[in-house]
Amino acid sequence: MTLHRPLVIAYGNRLRGDDAIGWVVADALRDDVRMEPVDVLAVQQLTPDLANEITTASRVVFVDARLDPALTPGVVAVDVVLPEFDAGLMTHNVGAGTILSLAEALYGVHPPAVAVTVAIESAEPGADLSGAVSASVSQLVETVIRLCTETSNA
Amino acid sequence: MAREITIDPVTRIEGHARIRISLGDAGQVADAQFQVTQFRGFEKICQGRPLAEMPSLMARICGICPVSHLIASAKACDDILAVKPPKVGEDLRALMNLAQIVQSNALSLFHLASPDLLFGFDADPAMRNIVGVAKSNPQLAMDGIYLRKFGQHAIELLGGKRIHPAWIVPGGVESALTAEKRDEIRAMIPEAYAAADRALVWYKSNLLNWAEEAETFGAFPSAFMSLVDADGNVAHYDGRLRVVDHDGTLLADFDAHDYADYIGEYTDEASFLKPTYFKPRGIENGLYRVGTLARAIVAERFGTPRADVELDAFRSRFGRYPSSSFHYHQTRLFDILYGIERMEMYLDDPEILATRVASHAEVNRNVGIGVAEAPRGTLIHHYVVDDDGIVQTANLIIATGHNAAAMNASVLQVARHFVRGERIEEGMLNRVEAVIRCYDPCLSCSTHAMGQMPLHISLVGYDGEVLDEVRR
Repeated sequence: MTLHRPLVIAYGNRLRGDDAIGWVVADALRDDVRMEPVDVLAVQQLTPDLANEITTASRVVFVDARLDPALTPGVVAVDVVLPEFDAGLMTHNVGAGTILSLAEALYGVHPPAVAVTVAIESAEPGADLSGAVSASVSQLVETVIRLCTETSNA
Repeated sequence: MAREITIDPVTRIEGHARIRISLGDAGQVADAQFQVTQFRGFEKICQGRPLAEMPSLMARICGICPVSHLIASAKACDDILAVKPPKVGEDLRALMNLAQIVQSNALSLFHLASPDLLFGFDADPAMRNIVGVAKSNPQLAMDGIYLRKFGQHAIELLGGKRIHPAWIVPGGVESALTAEKRDEIRAMIPEAYAAADRALVWYKSNLLNWAEEAETFGAFPSAFMSLVDADGNVAHYDGRLRVVDHDGTLLADFDAHDYADYIGEYTDEASFLKPTYFKPRGIENGLYRVGTLARAIVAERFGTPRADVELDAFRSRFGRYPSSSFHYHQTRLFDILYGIERMEMYLDDPEILATRVASHAEVNRNVGIGVAEAPRGTLIHHYVVDDDGIVQTANLIIATGHNAAAMNASVLQVARHFVRGERIEEGMLNRVEAVIRCYDPCLSCSTHAMGQMPLHISLVGYDGEVLDEVRR
C-alpha cells in the first residue's frame, strides 16, 4: 500500500525580487526536520504536467507571491483551492485550480489543496526580497508546516 | 482612415506580448507587429558576477528551458578557461540538453498548440484549452504529460533537481551518472517512444484539417539557421552554425566565435525584444528562422533511425525546403523523437558512467562564446571578463530574437489573409495569435503569473477612437 504524503509546490522566479519568496520558503522547508514526511517541490511556474504529480499526494499546499497593490506587502493568506478552469485563462501559466481540474479529468482524482500566498511589493528584476516580504518568511514557513502536519497527523 | 487592431496580451505563449495590426484607409491590413511588452534585465544582472556563478545564474532566466542557458553559459565559461571537458562530461551535458528538448517541445505542442489543432481555430475558447484537450482526447493530454515528465525526471536524476540544476559547471559537470540512475531513465524510454509515436499518428492524420493554415502561417521564402555536426546532421550541443536559403543554397557555415560577422542585432522602439538579422543581407533583407523547422531544413539528416523515417516522409510530402512556419509543430515532434533516440544511445554507451567528468582551469582568456540549440532555436552566450574572472559585459541572443523578424512577417501574412476590415472575429484573430505560437516564443525569462491574462482586442481609429473591442 502506498502511503500518500503531503506535497508543497512553491513557485516563482528567483531573479524577480519578491517573486522569489516561494523558493525561499521551499529552501527553509527542506531544512526543517518537521517536514520529513512531506515532499517539497519548487518550480518557476505551474505547468500542466503537475497534474500527474499531485495525484499521489495526500494534500497539496501551493506557495506563491501575490502582486496586488491593494494588499499590504507581507500579509499572508491561506485559501482553499478548488478544481476550476476559467475560460479566459489560456496562458502556459496554468493556475492551481486548473492543475486540480486536469488531474480530475485525466486521472479521476485530485487531492485537497490550499494556496498560501504573501502580498509582495515588487516583481522587478533583482535578487533580494523587500523588507516586508523578508519579514514574512518565518510566518509563511510555520503556516505551511502547520497545514502539512495537520494533514500528516490526520 | 488608418486604424489599428491590438491583441494584448497574446495568450498561450511564454511571457507577455501583444500584436498590433494597422489597417489602411480601405480597411485592408497595412502592417502588423509582434511586440514584447516586458523588460529583460538579465544581461545587466550578470555584470560584476564571478564567472563560476554564470551557468547557474543564467539557468534562472527561464523555467522552461533552463538547461539550454546552462549549456550555452558553461560553454562560454569553458572558452574563457580555455578548457575542454572530458568526453563523458560533454556527453552528460548533451544528455541533459536532450531531456530538455523533449520536455520543452512537449509543453509547446501538447499543452499550448494542441487545443487549436484538436478543436480548430474557430472553436469556442471555453473548450479550446488544455482542460478541453484532457476531456476530449485524454490519451493525447496524458502523452504530453508523460513526455514532460520523462524529460523533467531525467533532468532531475542527472542534476539533482528538475528546475535550475547547478550540475553543469565550467569544465564539465559536477558528478558522474550512476548505473542506478541510468537504468531509471532508460526504463522510461519505451513509453516515451510510444507517446511520441501516438502523437505523430494523431498529428499526421489531422494535417488535412489545417491545409489553409499550413499555406498561410508564415509561408514565405527565407533563410534558416541551425547547428550541424561534422556530417551536416542535426546537432543540439555543439557543431558549426550553418545558414541556408529557401532553396537550399548555402549562405554561410561558420564557427560560433565568428557569429558577430554573420548575425547583427538591432533595437525596435516598440518592443523590448531585440531582433537579429543575417548581416550579409542587411536589416531589410536579413530575415531568417531558427528552431525545429530550421533544424529539419538546414541539416542533411537527423542521423537517428526513427526520426529520419519521419523526416523522409515529411520531405516527400512538403518538399526538401518547406517554407511554412506551420510545420514547426510537426518538426517539434521530430525533435522529441530524435531526443529520445539520442538519449537512448548515450545511455547504452558504457562510457556514460565514466567518473572523470570535469576539467579544471583558471581564467585564461577574457572573452568566451558558447552556443547550443535550445528547443526554440539557436542560443548564444557571449561574455567578457576581467583577469579575475568577473563578468564585465554579457550578450545573450535567444531563439526568439532570431525569429523576431519572421514572426512579424508571419503575423502580417496571416492578418492579410484572415483579417477583414473592422470586424473582430474570434477565429480570425486567434489565427493571428496562433501563427506566433508556431514559433513557441520564450519570453518567460522574466514573467510572473499575476492571475488571469485576458485576451484584449481593440480596433482603434487613427484619432484614438475605439471602433470595436473584444475581451475574453
